[in-house]
Amino acid sequence: MVLVTSVRDYINRMLQDISGMKVLILDSETVSNVSIVYSQSELLQKEVFLVEMIDSISVSKESMSHLKAVYFIRPTSENIQKLRYQLAHPRFGEYHLFFSNLLKDTQIHILADSDEQEVVQQVQEYYADFVAGDPYHFTLNMASNHLYMIPAVVDPSGLQRFSDRVVDGIAAVFLALKRRPVIRYQRTSDTAKRIAQETAKLMYQHESALFDFRRTESSPLLLVIDRRDDPVTPLLNQWTYQAMVHELIGLQDNKVDLKAIGSLPKDQQVEVVLSSEQDAFFKSNMYENFGDIGMNIKRMVDDFQQVAKSNQNIQTVEDMARFVDNYPEYKKMQGNVSKHVTLVTEMSKLVEARKLMMVSQTEQDLACNGGQGAAYEAVTNLLNNESVSDIDRLRLVMLYALRYEKENPVQLMQLFNKLASRSPKYKPGLVQFLLKQAGVEKRTGDLFGNRDLLNIARNMARGLKGVENVYTQHQPLLFQTMESITRGRLRDVDYPFVGDHFQQGRPQEVVIFMVGGTTYEESRSVALQNATNSGIRFILGGSAVLNSKRFLKDLEEAQRISRSGSHMV
Amino acid sequence: MATRNRTTVYRKHRDACKSARAPLSLSASDSFGGPVIEMVSGSFSRSNHSSYAPLNSDDPGPSSSDAFTIGMPPAWVDDSEEVTFNIQKVRDKMGELSKAHSKALMPTFGDNKGIQREVEMLIHDITDLLRNSEKRLQKLSTRGLSEESNLRKNVQRSLATDLQSLSMELRRKQSTYLKRLQQQKEGQDGIDLEFNMNGKMSRLDEEDELGGSGFDDYQTIKMKKGQHVSAEREREIQQVLGSVNDLAQIMKDLSALVIDQGTIVDRIDYNVQNVSTSVEEGFKQLQKAERTQREGPMVKCATILLILCFIMIVLLVLKNILL
Repeated sequence: MVLVTSVRDYINRMLQDISGMKVLILDSETVSNVSIVYSQSELLQKEVFLVEMIDSISVSKESMSHLKAVYFIRPTSENIQKLRYQLAHPRFGEYHLFFSNLLKDTQIHILADSDEQEVVQQVQEYYADFVAGDPYHFTLNMASNHLYMIPAVVDPSGLQRFSDRVVDGIAAVFLALKRRPVIRYQRTSDTAKRIAQETAKLMYQHESALFDFRRTESSPLLLVIDRRDDPVTPLLNQWTYQAMVHELIGLQDNKVDLKAIGSLPKDQQVEVVLSSEQDAFFKSNMYENFGDIGMNIKRMVDDFQQVAKSNQNIQTVEDMARFVDNYPEYKKMQGNVSKHVTLVTEMSKLVEARKLMMVSQTEQDLACNGGQGAAYEAVTNLLNNESVSDIDRLRLVMLYALRYEKENPVQLMQLFNKLASRSPKYKPGLVQFLLKQAGVEKRTGDLFGNRDLLNIARNMARGLKGVENVYTQHQPLLFQTMESITRGRLRDVDYPFVGDHFQQGRPQEVVIFMVGGTTYEESRSVALQNATNSGIRFILGGSAVLNSKRFLKDLEEAQRISRSGSHMV
Repeated sequence: MATRNRTTVYRKHRDACKSARAPLSLSASDSFGGPVIEMVSGSFSRSNHSSYAPLNSDDPGPSSSDAFTIGMPPAWVDDSEEVTFNIQKVRDKMGELSKAHSKALMPTFGDNKGIQREVEMLIHDITDLLRNSEKRLQKLSTRGLSEESNLRKNVQRSLATDLQSLSMELRRKQSTYLKRLQQQKEGQDGIDLEFNMNGKMSRLDEEDELGGSGFDDYQTIKMKKGQHVSAEREREIQQVLGSVNDLAQIMKDLSALVIDQGTIVDRIDYNVQNVSTSVEEGFKQLQKAERTQREGPMVKCATILLILCFIMIVLLVLKNILL
């Protein structure tokens, strides 16, 4: 709740002191920040009657001086230039400028210079520079997420841009929470180290006064880790509601775009909202697995049918009056029921078409259980199966390669060749690129639980006990990291402190930032961990929210750039 | 949550820039007669901002100098303010209505025609105000893709939400009033019947010899009075139902305007994208229309005719020269 509440509070504060009709002007990033926590009807209640983007507002020529302009934008150089022009040719009566991150002095000079007609009433920094999708999960929605995989020598400016944006986002989160953390990072990742060090510099040196908050007994912890330490989680197919929707269809800023499926009749909803804040059914089912969701939806449909039937049975005037009274709720319920039914139907169709039950079983075996020979057999069979799609074949081979990288290289080679021959769109060498980025030498954590004896024993015990659900047996590596933190046993060797930071005992608040992106399976893990009330509150954030498609796209982009880079070198 | 106020730094810079500009403007004001600041700032702004109105043009158009004056809001703002004012009046009257309802429901000895008329009048007033507001609200509707129309639509939506919640509150008040009225009516009739029954019984007991062929005067009067009261109650209930129906109609109209919360239509980014896509679409349509018109048969005819005319003129001139 904390992140969502902070952003809402910022927006409320922006709008409350300004009376009269207002127009809210956003840029392409802040529009996501605001839309995900604030609804249009709430804006209308605050007398904001128009919402515009800063790009399109330059084009129009009408002057609306009876409106007051409230700008909420990121302090990028493009935005400052557009704002300069708009201040020099003001269209509105008053201008109130709110920036979502720190302004440089030069930027303030530029703006003051162009404000000849003195229309600007206030300039504030309100640090809502992140997308707070769920109570304990935020993202930065970065478009060029792949840059983290590219070494600094190949594209130094790109990596600098990436790092700057991440540092800005993390700083905004801590300013919103009013905390200054102790920082640790994953030793094996250069990108993580760089980001951790730059964040420390910002918080403790450059803007040390701004971050100087009241100290609590134990400082919070910021842990910066790299996606490549756990490449398995984004590759797996998901079976819990929120993660599954993102994996199969795609969830962007809590919106689902069903147009991509393309099989719906014309009058059906093409875009729906899945937000745990506004949809009680979704809130109680977002972490449930597919079978349970089916049952709960059926129950919801039955309830709704009963209400519908009683509404049809109108005999007395009293019934009519009651019907009209309850009509808005009835309509809302109807919309909600049809939304969930549509989603689950579409997902079932996809599961059926891509034979995901079969594929996912093998995937989970590859991720969780041992046996190289059996795994090789299973993967080969699925590669030979015609109805398995290209992306699923690629994922299977990748998972196999990640697990059995060093065992039986001959069979591994055979799988590569088979994959290349069966999948025409496959970019050759992608699996090898993945191994170079995230192979066993590059990883810190014990991804497959086969490094130290304790983990091996634990796995064997689990294997003997049997699992409740074959499809959800995988636990992301993040879960182990969180456990180590809870026990106070996060190894300094693997996750060193920045500079001379130190922490006694356990922290009470932990923000884990995953460079390269998080997944909804991991956000589910965090939410479930927080629900156990272990005394530590975890917040998870990433540069993007991944599904297998996005992760593979990032890999391909990074591979392309590395190849062209190596040509230049 | 932390914030930082940069307004003082900003103002300092702005004032510094203004004073830096001021000495320059003093020299320029002699040679040019127009607003000086435009010229000076023209040198600051980038060269491609040619839309800046030139000083010596006769028709400056909607240039930045207009933005100095706080412009008059457009006419539709009056409508929306009227509706806001009506909504406030409705709220006040609803308060009075609650008081009137509770007074009407109190058991009285005399007849409560006076208070009932007051209730009727209040309900009538409120329904009128709501209907009036709704009509004015419909006037705000507009088609078109401009920013102005988007603004109007949003104002309309916000006021429609308020009106809808008010009418629902009114209906709820009326239905509770109705229910209590009915309870009272049954109670009263019950008492009357009981009294009549008792009366009849006692009468029969006393005057058995008379045969009890009919009711006596007292009981007739009592019965007539009971009928009268129940007829009145009946009428009241009918009235309340009538106004309930009116309100239902208003609600139906308003619900078309109000946003459903939690749906995609309630998302800011969806609305912003929609506006931009529809504006883009409109632009594309306009381009297509322009293209078709340019390549239309009429235009081709006209061009051919013009060319022919030109050729004829040339031939004529040549003929004259040769002759």
